Amino acid sequence: MAETKEKSLSDEKPKPRVRPIVRLGIFLISHSFLVSVVCCTAGVLALFLLPVLAKNTYISENALMPGSASPMLSNQHVSDGNRLVKDLTNPNSKSSETGIESHKIIAQYMLDLGAEVSFHKFHPQMNQFHPLHFFSSPVSGKIQENYSCSSYGINTVGIIRAPRGDGKEAIVLVTPYNALKSGFGEALSLGIAYSVFSLLTQVTWLAKDIIWLVADSQYGEYAAVAAWLREYQTPKFSSLSTPNAEMCPDVNNLFELKGHSISGSKFSNSFRRAGTMAAALVLKVRDQNEQFEDTISIYAEASNGQMPNLDLINVVNYLAVHRQGLRVNVEKLWPLLNSSWLKSLGEIFESLAKVAKSLYPKWKFGIPATEYVEGTATLASSLYYQALGVPTGPHGAFRDYQVDAITLEISPKFSLDKVWRNDILLRGGRLIEGVIRSVNNLLEKFHQSFFLYLLTSPSKFVSVGVYMIAFALLIAPLPMVAASLYVDANSSSNCSKGDSSTPSAITDTDEHGIAIRSWRWLNSAKLVFIVHLWGAIVSLLPYFISQIPDCSPTTSFMIWVLLSILSLLTLNSVLASPLACAKATQEKEWALVKSVTISSVFIGLGLMSVINFATAEIGALLMVPMCLLARPLKLDVRAGTLRSFCRLICNLVLGHIAFPPAAFFLLKGMLDGFGNANVGDFWMWVESLWAWNSATYLFIDLTWRAHAVVAHQSCMMFWNLDVLVLSL
Amino acid sequence: METFINPKSLFHLLLLPCLLLYSSIAYNSSPVEAAMHTNNWAVLVCTSRFWFNYRHMANTLSLYRTVKRLGIPDERIILMLADDMACNTRNKYPAQVFNNENHRLNLYGDNVEVDYRGYEVTVENFLRVLTGRHETAVPRSKRLLSDEGSHILLYMTGHGGDEFLKFQDSEELQSHDLADAVKQMKEKHRFKELLIMVDTCQAATLFNQSPGVLAIGSSMKGENSYSHHLDSDVGVSVVDRFTYYTLAFFERLNIYDNASLSSLFSSYNPSLLMSTAYYRKDLYKRRLEEVPVTNFFGSVMETIHTDAAYKALSRRNSGRFEDEMSLDQSVHHIKRRMLIKVNDGDEIHDINPELLQGEEGASKCPWSTFRKKFQKAENVDSLLNYGLVAMIPLLVISTWLVQ
Repeated sequence: MAETKEKSLSDEKPKPRVRPIVRLGIFLISHSFLVSVVCCTAGVLALFLLPVLAKNTYISENALMPGSASPMLSNQHVSDGNRLVKDLTNPNSKSSETGIESHKIIAQYMLDLGAEVSFHKFHPQMNQFHPLHFFSSPVSGKIQENYSCSSYGINTVGIIRAPRGDGKEAIVLVTPYNALKSGFGEALSLGIAYSVFSLLTQVTWLAKDIIWLVADSQYGEYAAVAAWLREYQTPKFSSLSTPNAEMCPDVNNLFELKGHSISGSKFSNSFRRAGTMAAALVLKVRDQNEQFEDTISIYAEASNGQMPNLDLINVVNYLAVHRQGLRVNVEKLWPLLNSSWLKSLGEIFESLAKVAKSLYPKWKFGIPATEYVEGTATLASSLYYQALGVPTGPHGAFRDYQVDAITLEISPKFSLDKVWRNDILLRGGRLIEGVIRSVNNLLEKFHQSFFLYLLTSPSKFVSVGVYMIAFALLIAPLPMVAASLYVDANSSSNCSKGDSSTPSAITDTDEHGIAIRSWRWLNSAKLVFIVHLWGAIVSLLPYFISQIPDCSPTTSFMIWVLLSILSLLTLNSVLASPLACAKATQEKEWALVKSVTISSVFIGLGLMSVINFATAEIGALLMVPMCLLARPLKLDVRAGTLRSFCRLICNLVLGHIAFPPAAFFLLKGMLDGFGNANVGDFWMWVESLWAWNSATYLFIDLTWRAHAVVAHQSCMMFWNLDVLVLSL
Repeated sequence: METFINPKSLFHLLLLPCLLLYSSIAYNSSPVEAAMHTNNWAVLVCTSRFWFNYRHMANTLSLYRTVKRLGIPDERIILMLADDMACNTRNKYPAQVFNNENHRLNLYGDNVEVDYRGYEVTVENFLRVLTGRHETAVPRSKRLLSDEGSHILLYMTGHGGDEFLKFQDSEELQSHDLADAVKQMKEKHRFKELLIMVDTCQAATLFNQSPGVLAIGSSMKGENSYSHHLDSDVGVSVVDRFTYYTLAFFERLNIYDNASLSSLFSSYNPSLLMSTAYYRKDLYKRRLEEVPVTNFFGSVMETIHTDAAYKALSRRNSGRFEDEMSLDQSVHHIKRRMLIKVNDGDEIHDINPELLQGEEGASKCPWSTFRKKFQKAENVDSLLNYGLVAMIPLLVISTWLVQ
């Protein structure tokens, strides 16, 4: 980017008249300092303005028509659900070691309704780190070699066929259930699902099949759902099937037994399928009680910051609020709610809006300060979970197959009271019924509404067109600064005078040919490349470390750090000690190195914003100031003025904050208190990232490399190599 | 003598009066004279697909039921339904369609004859129906076989916008397409009078381009047409406001009622419709107060009393009828002239009647002499009998000459 700009600049120079766009470019580049300050401030400000700019959600798809049909779920269905809850919480059913009894009960209940029932056995897959699988979908039909017959899960699947439907589409209802240690909440969620299921077997308006998946969550909710989905989406043919759970004699026996004991032809041992999935709902009931009112939490983030279509959230929100009188909330970063600076910021915005309104009554963009704080907290959590790239619930498994799914977690107000239980069964059931009826009306996949959005409240969102502005403003200075640095570096070496715009201009005493000089940036690029290479190696190291058996997170982390340093030293020695070489020849060309770094960071951020916006935004917040401020510490120290000292401090602080582990600890410390921060936590965090194939991991790796480059250039004049590594 | 008279030329000579006589009768039954309301047709179109557009099908079926009840037979109704709601899997009541949440009336009963269904309802087919340009294989039941004596009701409902109506979620009928089709129909004498009734958003824009007929739309430009109510049992809106109030008007009527079009048009209350029903009558020749709604929505036409049942060969030439009509014949003619003028695009409305009268007199000159003859004769039967009797001596003479 910088190079092309520079080329066009030099091309245009001899001509008397320059095209306006070029002139504008030159102007921006020559005032890059001012531009970068303005743009960065505007970018951060725009980010804080997002809750104010959030729009109200609306149902975009005409076909959905939520709430147009009155709920049909009656007390009869609720009492059916209650019966199941009683049977499941009955201590007799829990006597079985494997919890197979509970599954049997559920299956029998489903069969009694006339649904098709089948069991799905699966082996929990251990999370594995696949260095090159960040963007690919989960591997199909992969079977672990060393499974044991004792560890398997059983999903119970009930399917209602739409009486007049074509059987090409299905809606999935998932209730995670751990038969071994189920709380009352889980049983209640099953009760809700059952009451809806019993209603749906009777209705005539089904156009899509209904699948009720009771996911065995003893190995994690996500694992069970993912295993079932893998099986569902990638059929295995008998000739190709490799040994799996059926080979275990004891398991087989259990199922044989079951096949006989459960009457009815609708039970089958084979895997049952319905049509393609239109949407999926994961239903949970929380055990702890909410204090104020019945609330329902929506979790939507899937892997790599993918979100389900906004219409699905809208439908749930609309039905919950306007039909069932439930309070809906989405995740918030709770610590932010009490922060006073955010409150004052909100008040500033509020008063500004008031002033604007008094000037021109049609300007109505202000929101109350409290709402602003809540919006910001929700936005922050939305950003955080999207950036993390780890799904917030079992719904994430569906997103991998492009199925829109969300998790609904009902937090009831009262406890265990019979009346209350019926009430929550009725309202929860009617909510689910309403959503299913609405999705049932769909003719196509969800496509009308947004996929790229951030929520600031359950009924407010910021769309991609708005939040991209903040990001664009933030990264806009990067190419300009890169270009200006490049120009300065070239011009300062051309005319051996100091340039006024760069106060620390270094006079170039060496005489190179112009041709050589114009290619000088390749040296810096090589340096940057080597540091990136090191970063890549460092990011691949955990794969090997994770192979070491019986390793505590802390030791793993230590091994990682040690290996990183080691790899740096080896790289240094093998590749003709680029750093030392750089030290000798490029002592005065830090500007070029910075220019190349900034360009690469710009490209990286730009690419990342396409893959996962939230990650790019957070990364930009950390890296852009760091990249822009970076200067050799030596120069600042030498200058000795107050300004340079400030800059030095900023550099050091930013350099450390933007270092991923440091950033992680700082964040964790801020949220949880510094007392319980542990070195091992970072390892676990990173482990979870790669377990979920999160692209964020790649990105952290990128941050790492960029950081390394910047840190390197900051330090290379001041300390020797060892100090550099220490500072990392 | 024999050589002097060429038998062939004589034969031609003899044929001449017969031809003259025949041509005068033919002239009498020419379109200008014959444009009398003789039959009724209805073209009812629902243009939108998908379950959530249930109400459009219900609208159309309600209209279908109404016009059938008021006397238009099934073979003269072209019913076009773009989707099948009755058998939609989402329909809680399979094979039934309701236009009210009380579910008292199943619109999709036994006697519904859908002529164009599903993906057959396209702009192309619609225009083919109007203009009568079908492929040869299209059965007669799917054709609009109207003539110059037909009153046609064209009812359309669906989703529309400024000067267009969406068909099938994939194509549009534009106002100039409609105008063009109506013009063609006019040229081909496919109707005597045409009432276009449109229930869509911005319906009034659809007949903006002057099709030259009576037209009413549910809403003005920039307005939406809204649904009337939601059936929370079926889970969709079941009828649109405009159609609902139209039906409410017709439910009070039976086939013998004499309600006029203007009473229908003034029955629309903008606050109930939530839009302004707009009708244009500037191109319509009769006064709306005098036109019974059954002229379009039913199949009730003027009855003509004759002396002897089934005696006349041509009812138009019945002497009594002529006597009755002769007084206002010329007035009618002027009106018709004016209509033709307007149709030609002339904006002059106040044409001098005397001028027209003169013109008419000139054009009617040969005709009026014959008419006097007819008036002398008691009826056309006797005229014809006289003619035949007169031909006998001519035939005798000619055969004698030839011999």
